[in-house]
Amino acid sequence: MAARRVAITGAGTVSPLGNSVDELQRSLGEGRSGIRRLPEAIAQGSGAQVGALVDWNPAPLYTEAEAANIDRVSQFAVAAAAQAITASGLDLQSADRDRIGVFWGTGMGGAHTLDQSFLRLYGNKDWRGRPLTVVMAMNNAAGSNVALKNGLRGPFANYSTACSSSAMALGEAMLAISAGRADAIVAGGAEALLTPGTLAAWVALRTLATADAADPAASCKPFDKRRTGLVLGEGAAAFVLEDEVHAKKRGARIHGYLTGYGNSCDAVHMSRPDRDGQVRAMKQALATSGLTPKDIAYINAHGTATSVGDVVECEAVNEVFGEGGVRVSSTKSMHGHLLGGAGALEFAAALLALEQGVLPPTAFLEQPDPACKLNHVAAKAERIAPPRAVMSNSFAFGGSNVVLIAERG
Amino acid sequence: MDTLARIKDMAAKEFSIDPTGLDPAAPLDTLGVDSLSFIEFMFKIEEEFGVNVSDEDLKSIKTLADLERHVAAALVAAGKA
Repeated sequence: MAARRVAITGAGTVSPLGNSVDELQRSLGEGRSGIRRLPEAIAQGSGAQVGALVDWNPAPLYTEAEAANIDRVSQFAVAAAAQAITASGLDLQSADRDRIGVFWGTGMGGAHTLDQSFLRLYGNKDWRGRPLTVVMAMNNAAGSNVALKNGLRGPFANYSTACSSSAMALGEAMLAISAGRADAIVAGGAEALLTPGTLAAWVALRTLATADAADPAASCKPFDKRRTGLVLGEGAAAFVLEDEVHAKKRGARIHGYLTGYGNSCDAVHMSRPDRDGQVRAMKQALATSGLTPKDIAYINAHGTATSVGDVVECEAVNEVFGEGGVRVSSTKSMHGHLLGGAGALEFAAALLALEQGVLPPTAFLEQPDPACKLNHVAAKAERIAPPRAVMSNSFAFGGSNVVLIAERG
Repeated sequence: MDTLARIKDMAAKEFSIDPTGLDPAAPLDTLGVDSLSFIEFMFKIEEEFGVNVSDEDLKSIKTLADLERHVAAALVAAGKA
């Protein structure tokens, strides 16, 4: 049997740019940033200045008592997945839920729960651990909560490869569906690690952006000479990926197809990215999709706005596509770096380009770094004829590179 | 508020149950309280009343009324009642 094509039939998000795909895509189109100064209660003594927070109220999804027993990262995951399932039109009551799975990604899992636990233990010297600590903090809790909430009993997987976690979840879900292991998979990722302890660890790495004095929202400037580092964000994005035959049989609206997935490891350094590893991942994604570089109109770059990372990615992109051959932007300038949730959220940004021909910009890009020679979508969104295919890059600490390609029907 | 009333109040909130119809003699599992939820609830009870209920005693608690007896006894033992 030929491999099955994998259709994208629904999407959902909880993000610093709004808690729906419509709001996210509108903000991206307007070049509006959700980055702001961190409140004192979150930054505390960490030294972190800015972040991209979700405006979040657990209601009506959870009562106050329920929300106290489920980590913020799982709340985001369940909310984004619910949107994606609703948007897909899948009727879970009548569907064969043994054939619907969950593939999820998160970098740190229940970071808030861990932070609270450590505060109690080490800070308050109270050694009565909270019983739900383990099931709230464990890395697979977010995905498991999605499965549990919706009764999805098919294949389950949880990926934790830092910044490429959720991109890997999408790619592996694509492979699982094309191999016939599931009719549909709710795939995505979530991250909620804006706690004082986690921020202090990131500050120590000396990779976080300082606040833009004139406009804190403009603190993340990928590819710009003035960039000072990345801005941490939080949130989730989820998709319903579905066997094309299954989707068409039920008359689902198909937003595009996930056709390319590249996965490589630098195996060079824990944090310094490697051009060749990124090139391998992009070429592998092209090879799985059967496309050539000229078929890709837009790349949503990893583009974290670190001094080294941006340059390496530009070199890798130019190695594969040739200089100026493809339009590129980093939407992290607006939603920050969602780490484990980044790949999925940015795939939603890439779909905006695929479906509507709206290329979201690298916001605030006014003085491109000469070392970043790309055909930038700078400062303002641009409109093109809806393209054949788009790419999304996710390059993680640990050297784990994931590249996804989405294609029109 | 007496001990049982406080426990009923906390249970109603924790398990999203209407407190008016909450029967203290009803087995907890008939109220939809599973073992994990119960252990978490006990943790909050211990914190609220400042008592410790032993693992041994925990096994014999099947209802909110059982729970009230153990908490009351622990309060007396701790000189808090």
